[in-house]
Parts: sequence; structure tokens; C-alpha cells
Amino acid sequence: MSSLANRPSDRLIAILDVVLLVAAGIAVLAPVAWMVLSSFKESYEVTAYPPTIFFSPTLDNYRSLSETTPFLQFGINSLIVTIGSTALGILLGAPAAFVVSWTRITWPAIVTLLARMAPGTLFLLPWYVMFRQVDMIGTYGALILTHAVITMPIVIWVLLPFFDNIPRSVFEAAQVDGCSPVRIFWRIALPLVVSGLAVSSILAFVFSWNYFLFALVLSNSDTKTLIAASFNFIGEGSTNWGGLMAAATLIALPPLALALVVQRWLISGLTLGAVKG
Amino acid sequence: MASIRMQNLVKKYGDFTAIPGLDLEIADHEFVVLVGPSGCGKSTLLRVLAGLEAIDGGELFIGERQVNAVPPARRDIAMVFQDYALYPHMTVRQNMAFALEMRGMKRDDIAGRVEHAARLLDIGAYLDRRPKALSGGQRQRVAMGRAIVRDPQVFLFDEPLSNLDAKLRAQVRTEIKALSQKLRTTMVFVTHDQIEAMTMADRIVVMKSGVIQQVGTPEEVYETPANQFVASFIGSPSMNFMEVTGAGDQLALSDGHRLPGTTDLARRVPAQGSAILGVRPEHLAVVPADEAALMANVDLVEPLGSDTLVHFKVAGTNTIARVEPDRRPRPGDVMPLAPVPGKAHLFEAASGEVIR
Repeated sequence: MSSLANRPSDRLIAILDVVLLVAAGIAVLAPVAWMVLSSFKESYEVTAYPPTIFFSPTLDNYRSLSETTPFLQFGINSLIVTIGSTALGILLGAPAAFVVSWTRITWPAIVTLLARMAPGTLFLLPWYVMFRQVDMIGTYGALILTHAVITMPIVIWVLLPFFDNIPRSVFEAAQVDGCSPVRIFWRIALPLVVSGLAVSSILAFVFSWNYFLFALVLSNSDTKTLIAASFNFIGEGSTNWGGLMAAATLIALPPLALALVVQRWLISGLTLGAVKG
Repeated sequence: MASIRMQNLVKKYGDFTAIPGLDLEIADHEFVVLVGPSGCGKSTLLRVLAGLEAIDGGELFIGERQVNAVPPARRDIAMVFQDYALYPHMTVRQNMAFALEMRGMKRDDIAGRVEHAARLLDIGAYLDRRPKALSGGQRQRVAMGRAIVRDPQVFLFDEPLSNLDAKLRAQVRTEIKALSQKLRTTMVFVTHDQIEAMTMADRIVVMKSGVIQQVGTPEEVYETPANQFVASFIGSPSMNFMEVTGAGDQLALSDGHRLPGTTDLARRVPAQGSAILGVRPEHLAVVPADEAALMANVDLVEPLGSDTLVHFKVAGTNTIARVEPDRRPRPGDVMPLAPVPGKAHLFEAASGEVIR
């Protein structure tokens, strides 16, 4: 092994690996670092050219955020919509994934994926009309239902390989033991895909938390989510860059913290379908 | 306890007919082994019995009840799967208790049955472990325990020994046989291993392409195979086959060599036709040169300890003789051999059916 690793071409590949990883890391982290640093700058410093690297940090942006906007309320709105739509996505998506895996009929799952891949604007107008008809514009219900279109396909497609990975004989043994399909799902299948549930919940949470369009149109001032509210910092004449960066930093925190906590599950969950024999 | 009756049973997968119409009766308390090569329909038949596959034609009775449309849970059967199919998230105790819980049995009764089965199978020490903490043999026992606690009318086994190593397989085989004698429950056991079939079965059902080739006791299928397929499948090493013709009062091989002492067999060969002579390796005896039907030029010798396998060619076909362990010919030696009287078989060349 050591003689192989010492070959010049291998060493070159190892160096290239490091260079590429560092480049990819910079590409991903630079905007995040820029956002976080800018949130501690005065607004004029954010757009200064050349960018100021050394500056005296200030918490003014965060202070004005809490003083001039109902930021906490927006945060609570975001949590309600995100947790609600994630729960709804799990409630509908987990049984759906199980049925797709059980019956091997995949077209319904593909339909939900297509719905997820279609641009949100496609749904927006019909939904706006529909929700206005039933007087639901500006309600949490409308936002949770629409965000379930984001969360449900994620849950289905993340859970599918987890269900596929359970030997079929386990389900058959449960059948012989007297389980109905509903009981097999509840007592056998679901406990065996707990890590998949965690992964899909987190992904659904992140996607729903970050989704901007539906909340922008279907919410009102009482139910506006953080991501839609942050749009207010972009004015017609001028933009409060410092405030925007502070808001963006705070908005990014919950999904980031979640991802860090469950990163091991996340990676194994996302690669499960790929390595299944 | 119950008998099983299949009448003209048909199972199809789309255009493919896996079982084209099968009749079989299994008596109460009987241990029946379904045996055959991969794809012969034995596992399909077991799954049909379990209710895991729908029946496309014919009738299936367990006891006096027709169960064609009865779901698995209400057939009062228990099944041991090839990969054991234990519930990974439950302890051994929970695995064994699960079916009883589903029936709504009282906790005390469940605990009693689980303890009893655990004692029977000697798995009491593992009751609170999860399946992944057990060895293959222990998992196999738990799978049997899960079946036993249900006290079913019929036990179904789908190649339950195939994942075990050779030593453990022999041990568990004996244990299952002993268990069947203790429980006196009807058992249907699927295997591709003819040794398992021979050692465990009250009756063996030999299958090929979804069709039963022969049903009989292990002695019957070994001593009087119904056709060339059964003859080749049962017995290890496999039966030797040679194409022969009748030449007066003797059989003659395809190369013209005559086999002395085969008068009885020669009478059964169709006139002007050929047949297949079948002789098991253990039924080729070493005889004095003047009584030999064959003079075998030894190619290869395999000493097994208990006996020795001698490989040679007869009219260009590989042939094996099983001889005493102390007889150790060398490659190139010539051995005078003759079929043991009454132990050779003749089969029709075209159909493979036995000629009696």
C-alpha cells in the first residue's frame, strides 16, 4: 500500500484533491462568511468598494432588527409554517413511500417529484384564487398546505430507499403473524426507518423554512414568515444591507444548527439509495 | 394439527406458469420435504400454502377448510424464512410474542408460551437481546421459536438451513427433526439439498418446473426413482448414466462394449432401441476380474475417509464408483467393477421414465 501511495502520480492526485476541496469549501463558505461579517458592519461599509476587511464590529443591525420589526413574531410564524408543513409532509409522505415500496408502483412518487420540480409560480395563481374563495389567504393553514407540496416529495424520496432496504420477508413474516398492511407500516416498517424519518424531516424543515414565494403571496402581516419579511429590507430607492444581512444570518441559523446536529445521519441517509445492493 | 390437500393447484406470474396444476395430499403430523433445483417451484408452492401468493386455479385445503382466499394470518400456519425475517427492532422475546399480541392473547399466557418455547430451543439466555446480537444459528432458533409459540396447525420452512455453515446445518437439521417428533405438527420443508430431504422427511416430493416428479418415502425415491431426473437428483454423488442397447442377453454400451451379467436388464430394453442405464456410485462393486461388467481405467481418486470415490470413463462418459476406504487405487490402475444385482435402473432414452 505504502509503495502505491508514494507513487508521484498518486501524490499529485492527493494534492489535487486537497486543492479542489479547499476551492469548493471557499466557494460554498465565502458568501456565508460575507453575510455574517456584513451583518456586523454599518450599511455603507457593506457596499464599500474595495470591501473593508478590517472594521469595528457593531450590533446595530441586530438591535434595529428587533426594534423596528416584529422579528420574533416572524420567527414564530416561520416555525409554525415549517413545523406544520414538515409534520404534514411526514404524515402523508411516509405512508405514501411505504406503499410505493410495498407495491413497487412508482408513478405516484414520480408525480409528486414532478410537482416539486415544477416552478412554484405554476401553482401560485390557482392557489391564490382557491384560498381567496375559502377565505384562507393570510392563514397559517394556507401556508402549511402549500408548503406540504415542498415537504411531501422530499419525505417520499428520502424514505423510499429506507423502506426498500427492509427485507421483504420481514413484511411477509408480519403478514403471517397477523398484521394488516396498516399495522405492518406502523409496528414494523416505521420503527425500522427512524433514521430516514430524521433525515427527511430535517430536509423538509430546511426546504420549507427557506421557501420564499408562497409565503410572500399567501401570507399577511400577521402570518409573514422570516424569509418573506426579510424582503422588506430591499427598498425601491435604497436597500438596508446591514439589516438584510443580520436578518439573513438569523434566518440561516436554525437549519444550519439542525444540519450540524444530525450531519452523520444526513450523510448516511442521503447515500443509502446509492449504495443499496 | 391438520392435513393439507392441493387439487389441480395453478400459480401463474403473468404469462409464466410456475405451477401448471398440482395435486398433493399431506397427512396430519406428516413431515414432507419439497425438494428440487432452483426454479422448480418448491418455494412458490410453499408461499402459496402460506397465503403470500394468490392461487390462480384449483383448490387448497388446510384441514377441512378451503383456504384459497384466506389471508396468511387466518390460515393458522407458521413460517420460518430463509433469512429468518426476524424483526430487527425487537428483542428475541418481543419477536416471539408478536404474533400472540396480534391475536390479542393475555400477557401472562404470552409470557408462558415464550418461556416454554425458549426452554425447548435453549434460547432462554438470549430473550432480551436484539437479533443483530445473535449468531446465525441462534437467529435460526429464534425464528423457529417464533413459529412454535403460535402452536400452529402447519409449520412451513423455506430453506431455513441454507444460511448456516455445514457443521451447524447438520446440527440444526437434527434438532428440527427431533422437534418435529416432539411437536407432532404437520410440517412442510423446502430445500434444494437432497441430504436434508433424505434425513428429515417422512415423504419427499421431488419437483421440476412446477411439476411433481415423484412422491415417496426417502427409501422409495432412492431405491425406485420414477424417472431419470429423480434418479440424478437424489443421491450424492449423482447416479451414473450410460446409454445402452440390448445385445442378445446382455446390455451393450454405445461403443459396443458388452456388459456381462446384465441379462435381466437387457430383457427390458426395447427391441431395436436404446435406453439409459443408471447405477449409483455405491452400487458399483469391485469384483473378481472374471465377473466384471466393466474394466475401469482409473482417472482420479478422492479419499473421503469413510469411503473412496473412484473416477473413470465409460464410453467417454465420466463415471464414479464408491469403494471401501482401504481400497486406494492409483490413476492408471484398472479396476474390475459390476453393478450390484438388483440395484441398476433402466430409463427410457426419450422420456427419461423408468423401465420396470
